[in-house]
Amino acid sequence: MKGGFRQSQAFLHTWSGLLLGWVLFLVFVTGTVAFWREGLNRYMRPELARVERPMAVLAGAQRFLGEKAPAAKSWSISLADARSPGAQVFWAPQPKKGEARGRRRGRRDTQALIDADGQVAHARDTRGGDFFYRFHFDLHYMPVIWARWLVGVASLMMLVAILSGIVTHKKIFRDFFTLRRHKGQRSWLDGHNATAVLALPFHLMITYTGLVTLMALLMPWAVVANYSDPAKLSDTLFPSAPAVERTGRPAPLVDLTTLVADAERRWGAPAGYLEVSEPGDAAARVTVSRSPASMLSSRTPRFAYDGVTGRPVWASAPPGGAAETAGAMIGIHAGRYADPLLRWLYFLAGVAGTLMVASGLVLWTVKRREKLPDPARPHFGFRLVERLNVTVIAGFPLGVACLFWANRLLPVEMKGRAQWEIHVLFLAWGAAAVLALVRRPTLVWPALLGATGMLLGLLPAYNLFAFPAGGLASLGVGDPLPAGVDATMLAFAAGYVAVALRVVRHRPPVRARTRRGSAPLRDVPAEMAA
Amino acid sequence: MTGWRRSGDMALRVVAAVPLGYAVGSVWAMALARLLPLAAAEASVTGQLVAFAICAAAAMWAFAASSGWRATWTLLLIGGAAAAMAWTSMAGGGRL
Repeated sequence: MKGGFRQSQAFLHTWSGLLLGWVLFLVFVTGTVAFWREGLNRYMRPELARVERPMAVLAGAQRFLGEKAPAAKSWSISLADARSPGAQVFWAPQPKKGEARGRRRGRRDTQALIDADGQVAHARDTRGGDFFYRFHFDLHYMPVIWARWLVGVASLMMLVAILSGIVTHKKIFRDFFTLRRHKGQRSWLDGHNATAVLALPFHLMITYTGLVTLMALLMPWAVVANYSDPAKLSDTLFPSAPAVERTGRPAPLVDLTTLVADAERRWGAPAGYLEVSEPGDAAARVTVSRSPASMLSSRTPRFAYDGVTGRPVWASAPPGGAAETAGAMIGIHAGRYADPLLRWLYFLAGVAGTLMVASGLVLWTVKRREKLPDPARPHFGFRLVERLNVTVIAGFPLGVACLFWANRLLPVEMKGRAQWEIHVLFLAWGAAAVLALVRRPTLVWPALLGATGMLLGLLPAYNLFAFPAGGLASLGVGDPLPAGVDATMLAFAAGYVAVALRVVRHRPPVRARTRRGSAPLRDVPAEMAA
Repeated sequence: MTGWRRSGDMALRVVAAVPLGYAVGSVWAMALARLLPLAAAEASVTGQLVAFAICAAAAMWAFAASSGWRATWTLLLIGGAAAAMAWTSMAGGGRL
C-alpha cells in the first residue's frame, strides 16, 4: 500500500474500529458495569439485609431445598457473602422419561434466593447486576450463539484496532502526556490517545482474555485436530467426580455446612459453590468448589463428598500448564479475584476503554466534517455514522439509567417484572434512536447526555427517601455498598451534565476560521492520514 | 492506481484479512495442537490460546503488504504450510 506500513495500519485502525465500534461500546459499558455485578445484585434488591453469617444462609438453603425439592436430581447453591444479596439456589427435578437432561436449566420456577436470615427472600424480581454480565457477551433479544459470534468478531477487530493503533503512533509516550483542549479535532485525537494509551496494557489484556473466554466457540479447530468428540476435552479440562445412580433407598443428607467447613479448612480459602447430586438418597453426593474470589484462575479446585456419611471421596486433579494459563486469563478478565481497590482500578480502566471507543467513533466524524464538500448537507454515510454515534454513545447509557429507575419504580407484584426492567432499557434506547433520527445531532447529543445525567443524579435522592435504611444509614452500620453505588451514580451524573453543557456551549468553528487554523493540521503525523 | 483498481485491491485485502486471516489462525492452531510435544488437551488449549494472535497478525499483514495479491498469496502459503503439517499428522491417526 502506498505510504508505508504506518499509513496502512492507520487505515486498518480507522475502519476496523468504526465497523464494530458500536458493538464494542455496548460490550465495554456493560462489561465495566459488570465488575460490580455482585454489588449491583444487592443494590437492586434494596429490601434485603447484608449477609452477616454465610453459614446460616447455607443452612437455610438446605432447609428450603429439603422441603421444596426433596427428591430432585440435583441442587446447586452459590454461597452467600457480604457482597452478594444471599444464596442463589437451583434445583433440577428428576428427568421424565425421554426428556433430555439439562433442558430445565435457567428456568425461573426451579430457582430461589435465600436471604441473610436463611429464608426465601421477599425482594423485587430483578436480574440485578447479572443482566450486565450476560449482556456483555450474550447481548439481548437474540440467540446467544449469534451474539457470542458477533461479540467475538468485534473483539478480534478490537485486537486488530489496538495493535494497528499502537503501530500508528509515532510518539506514543508523548501523546500520553498531551491533551490540547478546545482545539476541535486535535482535542478529540488527544482524548482518544490519552484514554487508549493510559490504560493500554488493560485494553490489550481485556481484549485478548475476552477472546479466550469465548475460545471454545471461536476457535474449535485446535480441539477438532485432536478429538473426534470435543466433549472428551471438556471432561479433561473440567473433571468431575464419577456420576452417581439413584438407589431408591432414602437416607438423610449430611449437614452441608460441615462439608463446606471441611473444604475451606483444606484449601485455607472460602468455598463458593456447591452441588448436590441425588439428595435424600443413599447414593447422594456433594461437590464443593473453591470461591473464584479467592484465586486468580477461574478453574477452581473441587472436592466431592459422600452425601450421607460426609466422607471425602474425590478431589479434582490440578490442571496442566496450558489449562491453568487459560484459566488464569479468564480469571484476569473477569476480575473476580480482585479486592475492592483493584476492582476500582478495573472499573476505571473499563471507563477509560469506553471513552476510548466513544472518542474514536466521534473522531471519525470530526475528522471528516472539515473535508465535506458541503458541511450543511453531508453525504449519507457521514450522516449514518453521526446518528448511530448519538444513538449508541448517548442513547445506550440513557437506557441503562432508565433500567436503574425501572428497578426502583416498577410495581413489586408486577408479572414478568425482571424482564420489564430490561424492556424499559430498550424502550428508552429505542426512543433515543428515533430522536437521533429526526432531530439534528447538535440537539440530540446534549438532550440525551443531560437526561442521563439528571436520571442518574436523581436516583440517589430518591433512594434517600424511599429506602431510609439503605444508603447513608447503611454507612453508619459499616456497610458502604449502597452508599458507594449512590455516590458513583452522582459522580457519573455530574460528568454527564458537564459534557451536555459543554456540547450546548460548543460553537462549531466557522469555515474561514478553520481554514486559518488548518495550517497546523497539515503537518500532522500519520495517524491523521486515514 | 485508478479508482477501480484501488477498490479491487482494497476488497482483496479485506478478504485476506478477515476470512483468510481467521483461516490462517485456525490451521496454525490445528498444527500446534497436533505437533506440540504435550498431552492432547494441553496442546489443543495452547493452540486455541495462540490462534487469536496469529489471526490479528495476519489481518495486519493483509494491509501492510505492498499489494492485495501479495497479501493473499503469502497468507495462502503460510496457511498452506500449517494445513499440510496438520493434515499429515492427522492422516497418521491418533485422534481421541
